[in-house]
Amino acid sequence: MGFNLEAHMPGLVARVTCEVGQEVEENQELVVLNCMKTEISCLSPKPGRVKEIMVAEWDEMDVGIPMIKLEEL
Amino acid sequence: MIKKILIANRGEIVSRVIRTCKKMDIRTVVVYSDADMDATYISEADEAYHIGPSAPIKSYLNKDVIIDVIKKSGADAVHPGYGFLSESADFAKEVAKTGAIWIGPEPEFLEDIESKCYCRQIAEKNGVPITPGTTAPVSNVEEVYAVASEIGLPVLLKLDKGGGGKGIEKISSFESEELTESIFLNMKKIGEMAFASGDIYVEKAVLNPRHIEVQFISDKTGNVVCLGERDCSIQRRYQKMIEESPSPIVTEKDREKLYDYTRKLVRAMKYTGAGTVEMLRAGNGEYYFMEINARLQVEHPVSEFVTGIDIVEQQIRIADGLPIPFTQEDISIKGHAIECRVNAEDPVSFTPMPGSITRVSFPDTSGGNIRIEHAICDGYKITPYYDSMIFKLIAWGSDRNDCVENMKTALNQFEIEGVATTVATDLKILENEHFLSGKFSTSFLKDENFI
Repeated sequence: MGFNLEAHMPGLVARVTCEVGQEVEENQELVVLNCMKTEISCLSPKPGRVKEIMVAEWDEMDVGIPMIKLEEL
Repeated sequence: MIKKILIANRGEIVSRVIRTCKKMDIRTVVVYSDADMDATYISEADEAYHIGPSAPIKSYLNKDVIIDVIKKSGADAVHPGYGFLSESADFAKEVAKTGAIWIGPEPEFLEDIESKCYCRQIAEKNGVPITPGTTAPVSNVEEVYAVASEIGLPVLLKLDKGGGGKGIEKISSFESEELTESIFLNMKKIGEMAFASGDIYVEKAVLNPRHIEVQFISDKTGNVVCLGERDCSIQRRYQKMIEESPSPIVTEKDREKLYDYTRKLVRAMKYTGAGTVEMLRAGNGEYYFMEINARLQVEHPVSEFVTGIDIVEQQIRIADGLPIPFTQEDISIKGHAIECRVNAEDPVSFTPMPGSITRVSFPDTSGGNIRIEHAICDGYKITPYYDSMIFKLIAWGSDRNDCVENMKTALNQFEIEGVATTVATDLKILENEHFLSGKFSTSFLKDENFI
């Protein structure tokens, strides 16, 4: 079963803080968004393994856009 | 003579610069990103050019595309506004190469003052007080501790080329060398990534200071004129919220001293244009030089209100090689002015809140005591890509109390629907007894539980 990390705020992707294949914990920061010059952490909703990174630095995000594809461990 | 100015910025400051250009009969060129297609100033300017996607790095910070617009439009000068490329030595150099005039200090100067250690050295050499600490970078935590034991805790570690409230860390105890080490190394890394320099220096932390800054203009003949001081102590996360001129705490004697420091620094640095010398005032009344800002500042209108001088007009004239047409003796401070920055943020948590303005209605400005700087309108979309400031309200009064009353009336008249703003926060600050008494420090918002 897979799941996605979606943007919960509009903004720009400041940086991606995970790598494909990496095992991550619940609430681990995977992406940092920049909304009006304020940096906002986007956390993994549950434990998993990073399957695909769907965004790049400075991509424009809106609420609900999938950013990281993960699979359950 | 400058005939056509490209304004390399976005938002309210573009409208502000256009206003002075029209007065001076200078044509204007504006640039806009995808997010700013509907900006109000596109129709106010003589020419407008699309410069790319919304992310600043791809548009307003993209030197090449802006240089192209200079060439295409035939602009003979560039006004950089504030933020973005306004203090970029590289950009100023590129502009000069096209033959256009850079409205600001020389690129070499911009390069020099990127280093705070350089500024501290100049200040020290010219008898302008600086906070105790180092005037050269330190290389490790042992050095930090050696300096700290000499000047006393707490100390601040600062990135030599940091800015915008980034690259400052406080060290309050000697206990954990490991923690200090990790702070030091982390800061170095941030500096290398964000400011292309990991140099760190140490200075003594001034506790509960006031932020006092002197607005000056300086021409190519060496004439320096100070336009009063501004008190910018109401801030959060090193970002200013409310500014005023004159400062309720600066005495006439203090002002003379601050003007003297400013003239010494500006002449020693051979600065031309408009600028600001930022000072910290400690609780005991001592002033310390902090930094020099080589651009027009967000809060410049309060100085314009109390002196009657159009600072943008002087910037353009000085860049054109003209002398300042008045002297220090011609300047007097009349009444009191306050600026409130209004941000698209939750008024309690200060969380940024992008969104669409469904309706906006502005306060009455016909009395001449209220000035509004903005670039918004009904239906305007506030995007998440830029600063959260959406407009500035500036009030004048015959004295501070009168000014506060005028500001409160204006804030109450202001109506905006569709987005959250910090208007309510501004009103609360203006009613706070410590704000009204004029006795506050940069920790005001924290002390009074605003944050």
